[in-house]
Amino acid sequence: MRRVAITGIGVISPLGNTPEDLLSSLANSRSGIRRLEGEEYRRLANPIAAPAIFDASSVADAPKLRMMDRATQFALTAARRAMDQAGLSQGITDPSRTGVFLGTGMGGASSTDDSYRTLYGEQSDRLKPFSVLLAMNNAAASWIGMEYGITGPNLTFTSACASSAVAIGEAALRIRSGQTDLMLAGGTEAPLSLGPMKAWEAMRTIATEDPAASCKPFSRNRNGLVLAEGAAIVVLEERQAAMARGADILGEISGYGLSTDMAHLTHPSVDGQARAMRLALASARMDPTSIDYINAHGTGTLANDPVETAAIKQVFGGHTSRLQVSSTKSMHGHLLGAAGALEFAISVLSMKAGMVPPTAHLQHPDPECDLDYVANHARWNSKIEAVMSNSFAFGGTSAVLIAVH
Amino acid sequence: MNTYDRLAHILTGEYNLPTEKLLPEARLEDLGVGSLAVMELLFKIEDEFGIRVPTDQTNLATVGDLVNYVDSLIASQISDAASHRAGT
Repeated sequence: MRRVAITGIGVISPLGNTPEDLLSSLANSRSGIRRLEGEEYRRLANPIAAPAIFDASSVADAPKLRMMDRATQFALTAARRAMDQAGLSQGITDPSRTGVFLGTGMGGASSTDDSYRTLYGEQSDRLKPFSVLLAMNNAAASWIGMEYGITGPNLTFTSACASSAVAIGEAALRIRSGQTDLMLAGGTEAPLSLGPMKAWEAMRTIATEDPAASCKPFSRNRNGLVLAEGAAIVVLEERQAAMARGADILGEISGYGLSTDMAHLTHPSVDGQARAMRLALASARMDPTSIDYINAHGTGTLANDPVETAAIKQVFGGHTSRLQVSSTKSMHGHLLGAAGALEFAISVLSMKAGMVPPTAHLQHPDPECDLDYVANHARWNSKIEAVMSNSFAFGGTSAVLIAVH
Repeated sequence: MNTYDRLAHILTGEYNLPTEKLLPEARLEDLGVGSLAVMELLFKIEDEFGIRVPTDQTNLATVGDLVNYVDSLIASQISDAASHRAGT
């Protein structure tokens, strides 16, 4: 069977824009969540988020940059860094057997928000001629494809908070099945403008402000998620081909499971999540006892955390007590459609470094959440052979990825 | 400032384009100002020159085309305004 190697990882995140900075922040339990300054954010009940520190000026020349939403700018930068690390920035062998699969929940949401501000707020009819191209969900994938002349499949998946995990999983399947040899896969999200933030606030799912410690997954005093922005892109290659060209192999995607609850639009199902984890294990031909670490979906909402805990118990049975499970959203917040890709990247980087990232701000565990959540402090010198990354979404999609060395 | 100078000022400010590249025969597309960017530019031209740009499509390929187009709009709108005043 064709195997899928990971040969490049690029990130733009609230915890740093290189894998090294990201890993260092996680290892030190440093949170990227902070109070948002700026006049318009005063309209938020809890003006907190995890922004990426990002300078757009180097992404493209001024005329091109005007055609890119912030989400596209993140994705293109992350893709370049991943391609640099993979040693492919000078070109790819066969563009027609290469593809780009991205995930995003809200696409160019801030550009749409800008259009509404112009149209309804300023009562002006002068919308930017680029409005459609800025906001369309597949813009980021298209720009990446154009950058490298990639002529194979170019798709954008949207399944809310599982979007980019789905993109990576589907990309891996393309390589496994022999349809492509090389894929850029991941996700991007830039939802931190007032409109999208007010929409999330209206759902009553946003955590109350406690500056850096606002997101408290698995805690009994947790009260919601914290919105974040960023992108993560991985380069995936057929393993033999990657080895033949002497690429540095960072890990391998060995399993991918996908299920749909179809029970409720927002309330997760134990069985749906458990099914996705079992399917991922089956796809990897691995026994549950092989998994050492799970990067949990762990949103810090009342609904998710006990359900995910119960689903993990259902799948892992007696092995559950030996599992290390953490929610890194406690530090980088919830990147929505890009969350799965960033957390998969974190899982692979942690496995390679032998470091288990913590669940920060876990002082008062919820009795219903009784796993080893690696509370507050990272663990080093851990032998991690296999990692699982969970992504569960509004709309009922559960996507689970497994990586090994 | 004449029309060319005022347009060059907008182009250098908005698109970081060096003045020496803004020759009348320079193609806007080659300067990175594609057809949609030209549409955006027309909003700024409306503000700068105090004119209304019609919404029908025009073929503006070069910097010189743009200068001529703006000059023609200024001329026609001044004459429209004059005949409107004359008629009242």
